Amino acid sequence: MTAVSIERVEKRFGAVRAVAGVTLAVRDGEFFTLLGPSGCGKTTLLRTVAGFADLDGGEIRFGERRIDTLPPHRRNTGMVFQNYAIFPNLTVAGNVAYGLKARSIPATDIAGRVAAALKLVHLDGYHERWPHQLSGGQLQRVAIARALVIEPEVLLLDEPLSNLDAKLRVEMRGEIRELQQKLGITALYVTHDQEEALAISDRIAVMRAGALEQVGPPAEIYARPATPFVAEFMGTTNLLAGTVAEAKGGRVRIAVGVIAVEAQAQGHVKGARVMASLRPETLRLLLPGETPPSGWARLEATVARVELLGALTRVELRASEGLPLKLAMLDLPPDAVAPGKTVALAYDPARVAVFATA
Amino acid sequence: MIAIKPRSTFPLAIAAIAFLFLGLFLLYPVFTIFNAGFLDPAGKFTLANYVNILSRSFYRASLGNSLEIGALATLATTALGVPLAFCLARLPVPGKALILVLAALPLVLPSFVGAYALVLMFGRAGIVTRFLRDLGIPFGSIYGTPGLVAVYTLTLYPYVVLPTLAAFKAVDVSIEEAGQNLGASRWRVFHTVILPVVMPSVLSGALLVFMETLENFGVPFVLAEDKPILAVEAYKLFVGEVSANPSSAGVLALVLVLCTTTALLLQRHYLARRRFATGARAAPPELRTPRPWRILATLYSWGVVLAALVPFFGVLVISCLEYRGPVLQGNFSLGNFAELMHRSTRPLENTVMLATAAAIGAALLGVPIGYVLTRFRSGIAHVLDVVAMMPFAVAGTVLGIGLVISYNSGWVVLTGGPIIMVIAYMVRKLPFNVRASAAILHQLDPSLEEASINLGVSPARTFFKLTVPLMLGGILGGMVLTWVTVASELSSTVVLYSGPWATMTVVMFEALEGTGAGIAAAAAAVLILATAVPLLLVYRLLRRYELAVS
Repeated sequence: MTAVSIERVEKRFGAVRAVAGVTLAVRDGEFFTLLGPSGCGKTTLLRTVAGFADLDGGEIRFGERRIDTLPPHRRNTGMVFQNYAIFPNLTVAGNVAYGLKARSIPATDIAGRVAAALKLVHLDGYHERWPHQLSGGQLQRVAIARALVIEPEVLLLDEPLSNLDAKLRVEMRGEIRELQQKLGITALYVTHDQEEALAISDRIAVMRAGALEQVGPPAEIYARPATPFVAEFMGTTNLLAGTVAEAKGGRVRIAVGVIAVEAQAQGHVKGARVMASLRPETLRLLLPGETPPSGWARLEATVARVELLGALTRVELRASEGLPLKLAMLDLPPDAVAPGKTVALAYDPARVAVFATA
Repeated sequence: MIAIKPRSTFPLAIAAIAFLFLGLFLLYPVFTIFNAGFLDPAGKFTLANYVNILSRSFYRASLGNSLEIGALATLATTALGVPLAFCLARLPVPGKALILVLAALPLVLPSFVGAYALVLMFGRAGIVTRFLRDLGIPFGSIYGTPGLVAVYTLTLYPYVVLPTLAAFKAVDVSIEEAGQNLGASRWRVFHTVILPVVMPSVLSGALLVFMETLENFGVPFVLAEDKPILAVEAYKLFVGEVSANPSSAGVLALVLVLCTTTALLLQRHYLARRRFATGARAAPPELRTPRPWRILATLYSWGVVLAALVPFFGVLVISCLEYRGPVLQGNFSLGNFAELMHRSTRPLENTVMLATAAAIGAALLGVPIGYVLTRFRSGIAHVLDVVAMMPFAVAGTVLGIGLVISYNSGWVVLTGGPIIMVIAYMVRKLPFNVRASAAILHQLDPSLEEASINLGVSPARTFFKLTVPLMLGGILGGMVLTWVTVASELSSTVVLYSGPWATMTVVMFEALEGTGAGIAAAAAAVLILATAVPLLLVYRLLRRYELAVS
């Protein structure tokens, strides 16, 4: 089992810095996800670890061993490709045995290890099937078995779920996570889907334009985004630009136009220009007679639009001066909101993220 | 710190082998023959050969004739091919699939056999000519320009049809609908939008036709009679040259290569612009046209395709008729074949053996080059791309002469044996093999190879273990096409062969000079069968080559 250390890794395509001096430490046995919009360099970074993209600078180590000087076929990584890359000229068993044969494992051992790997991905009995006879989800399982059977030091997954339908995607991500936990293998996972990243990872690195924006566990990335980019990329949010009106004892009051937003945050001085992020689900609509927990801040707004999405209700609101706010609540009584109605809102200042802006 | 890059040595090794092979057997021979044109008998630099050759109106005329006939043939193929491509792309013509098979045949059937068939039917002693004369109908001469243009048009028109058809099919139908929606008539949309979009493809095909006519040796040899043609005169000068240094042939070789290179560069320029015709998700639908138009389109399509095959069919029939000396009798007989085989079966064996060796050799060299070109984007790949296309610009006669004067003395003597013939064929067929394998590789997902490398198989072993098996169908198809075109190769063969290594094309070539029309017809028939039969057998493999051929 192996920790991966990526140090000042640089990869350019012509004048474009696809990976711009990234330093990362993936812990032994960790499920680590590179998350970002398309073109942010996450796949390129994964490919530098696999050896399919040469470095223009920096180093990559597995444990203490430097591997970026090794050709890709000597790195002992198991990669799962976006389109699975199942060899169409080999059976399922042939695909899974491919890497073992390359390692000159005795034929008697190969049969046993292939069977075990296929069992692991719930494909026992599929040995002699041909790839064209399999569904997308089954191909995905073959790809995972093929990558795991060689007992790689690191498992690399390049958007492995993006070609599956929504339901299967949720099912497979659960299975991938379960397998990784069971084997205790270090996994480096690339995706552009923030929900997938949150669901599956021990830690996430959010990337933007070739650089790391924030690294941390899913809960921290979601609740305490380090930048407005991360706040917006991780899910719908209310981004409010304002000025610090008062800062005292770890609590700040931010003037956003004529309304005030309160937050718990350190290191902001009076008069500084900042941006606050309030997730829609942190805003609570107060029903008549309801009082918020102590320490919560209050706001008033007018309902502009209501969207009922089954269990969840989304409400678009206008605070004073027409400032738009988004709110999302479970189990909202149908008569509590109607367009034009003025409502009272409350939120916990501890759940507001504040960023200094230039 | 210097980062050590784990680059694979595999593409470098392939590039090195390719450069070595082409350097020795293409660049050096061509350089030698050019050089010969600048040397006097004492071996000193001179321009006298150029003054001497180019001041003679006979040789100036050979350049003029070649260009004129090439231009006329190019115009004729375009005029014939573009409407045919449109009919096949957009009109309801019955039997399209079969038409496409038949339309590709003239490209691989030996064109000089077509020329010879024309002589057998419409020549001075031709069957049709005599029949008409007996009826008292005068018949003009097919020798010289008319016959040459006719043969080129009927054998080379697929070069225009295939890319143009693909371009017509690649036009997004919504472009057409947008034009009509904006108020343009169908005809206006056709000539303001569709035609400009397919034009690069038409021109790229037309320039290939032009290049083929310039370097073709067999057709003018059969049909030109006393009209001087560049490729033929270069050969005659070389054969008749008294001094050891083929200086006069070198002059014409340089002129010929300059012409073909210009055409090739223009063709590549237009090919590079072809991107702009693509973008359609599906081929545009067939047009609904009134019945008379449909009938006309059907007659036209079938007419062109069948007319192009008539000469070949004619040769097959004539070869089964009895000849007494040069005089054709009316009755069927297999006597011509019996006599052909009785003389010697060696030429047929030579053809089979040499073509097989060349097909294997060209695939062994061409497939790895195609792989490097598609999978490794580097400076070396670009240089390799240009070098691997260079044989296109060198006429077979010029390559043959170059190889003879480069390897008939000194360190390595190759002339007089089969090896130099196989080498010449490999050089000539290399561009096709490279492009064909690149075309197959474009359809193979590169992540398959990455998966293999990731699982611990080195790039070189991945190529042989995974890529080659996946390409196998395509490689075999390419080998059959190479085999077929080598079996009917004449222009470099006629320069390079020696007595025991004569091929079927040589037998025909010699028979043309008068020993017996019956034997020539039988040899031609054997050649046609030797090319058409393997082609039809592996047609399924070849479908994807419809465009790679051009």
